[in-house]
Amino acid sequence: MNKEARLKASINQKLTETGERDRLKELLRAKLTECGWKDQMKAQCKEVIKEKGLEHVTVEDLVVEVTPKGRALVPDSVKKELLQRIRGFLSQHAS
Amino acid sequence: MKMEEKPLSGPDNTRLEALMQDIYSELVEDACLGLCFEVHRAVKQGYFFLDETDQDSIKEFEIVDQPGVDIFGQVFNQWKNKECECPNCKRLIAASRFAPHLEKCLGMGRNSSRIANRRLASNNNISKSESDQEDNDDLNDNDWSYGAEKKSKKRKSDKNQNSPRRSKSLKHKNGELGTSISSDPYKQYNYNAGISYESLAPNEVRSLLTTQCGVISEHTKKMCTRSHRCPQHTDDQRRAIRLFLLGPSVPTLPDVDGDGFDVPDSQAVLSRLQWEDSPDISPADSASSKASGNHSDSRRPKKKKKPAVAAVALSMSGGGGGVNLMGVSGAVSQSTISLSTKKKKPKAAAAAAPSVSTEARQVRY
Repeated sequence: MNKEARLKASINQKLTETGERDRLKELLRAKLTECGWKDQMKAQCKEVIKEKGLEHVTVEDLVVEVTPKGRALVPDSVKKELLQRIRGFLSQHAS
Repeated sequence: MKMEEKPLSGPDNTRLEALMQDIYSELVEDACLGLCFEVHRAVKQGYFFLDETDQDSIKEFEIVDQPGVDIFGQVFNQWKNKECECPNCKRLIAASRFAPHLEKCLGMGRNSSRIANRRLASNNNISKSESDQEDNDDLNDNDWSYGAEKKSKKRKSDKNQNSPRRSKSLKHKNGELGTSISSDPYKQYNYNAGISYESLAPNEVRSLLTTQCGVISEHTKKMCTRSHRCPQHTDDQRRAIRLFLLGPSVPTLPDVDGDGFDVPDSQAVLSRLQWEDSPDISPADSASSKASGNHSDSRRPKKKKKPAVAAVALSMSGGGGGVNLMGVSGAVSQSTISLSTKKKKPKAAAAAAPSVSTEARQVRY
């Protein structure tokens, strides 16, 4: 267990240090906007807002309502591509 | 370890796969959170719903697709035949002519000042030539005081140079003629920069032609008031004009060689020539001998044209001579000579005979 934790920590560190994490983030964001995921999510947010009222909606509301849907709505292609990249990184840097 | 893209082998595999999934879900959650923050901010700042229009507005601004009407529903030629009332003159003007009419009516805009100047100049032509003698005499009396001289100078330039009165002023006021000639450049600032040769006496024509280019423009039928070296007209044109206006016996431009020697001039003219040459030439000697040589040539035709004007010529040489020289010599010498002539001008007017004759000696080589 320790080993896993240590492994995870070291991988995370490497991700950040090499800048791969940011690159992956940007890649994901671009892909999601491109495939329309962002607009779908915005529509979801609108519904939450109309439900809760424009004046009183909080970040928590949105997060709680929207994130699970968001995770589910990610297209498979995007998911696969991202996983591939992570795997590549791991195979390069895993000791 | 081997570098492979495919699932890794061994017990590490599951661990790494799990790690992979962890990293992935972390990234996705990050994206979702980012979106939530963005939306929340947009809601709080009030720009979240900006891309949506309400139904009423949509109906109001719908694209129109009827014939004879543009997409906004406006008719094309609606105001073509309408008439508008001018706020200034209260007349009804056609819509397409309204803007130019306003320009003239209100006295603003680019062309209105030009037209007004033109009208003024032509009015002056007509009215000034009929002005009272008394008025002019009053002006004459004010000659010797400095301030009044300024005024009279101005009036001279305002007064039409073409009027028959001018011959009178030529005889009366020696000192002033120089100023009147030098105020010729004033004419250039008029919009109406030209003289109509028909209204001039032959004296005046001759005098004008000696100082100015004089080529008659086809459009306006007026003589060009620029110097002899004016770039718009060639020497041939100038010669032709002189021929036309003064008759074939009179030689043309001052820069024509050899003409001066054929002139059957009296001694008086020659002596006058001496007087004239000196104030201009002596400083010019240092500038260029060619200029002074030509200068003496140029003097003679000029003198022929105005035999009556003796003392006047002295002062004229200061102003007019400089102008002639410009037609003759090159640019460099021109500037130096004109400078020197300008310096000489006041001296020339008051020049004593002895100084003149001594300088005259320098001229004749």
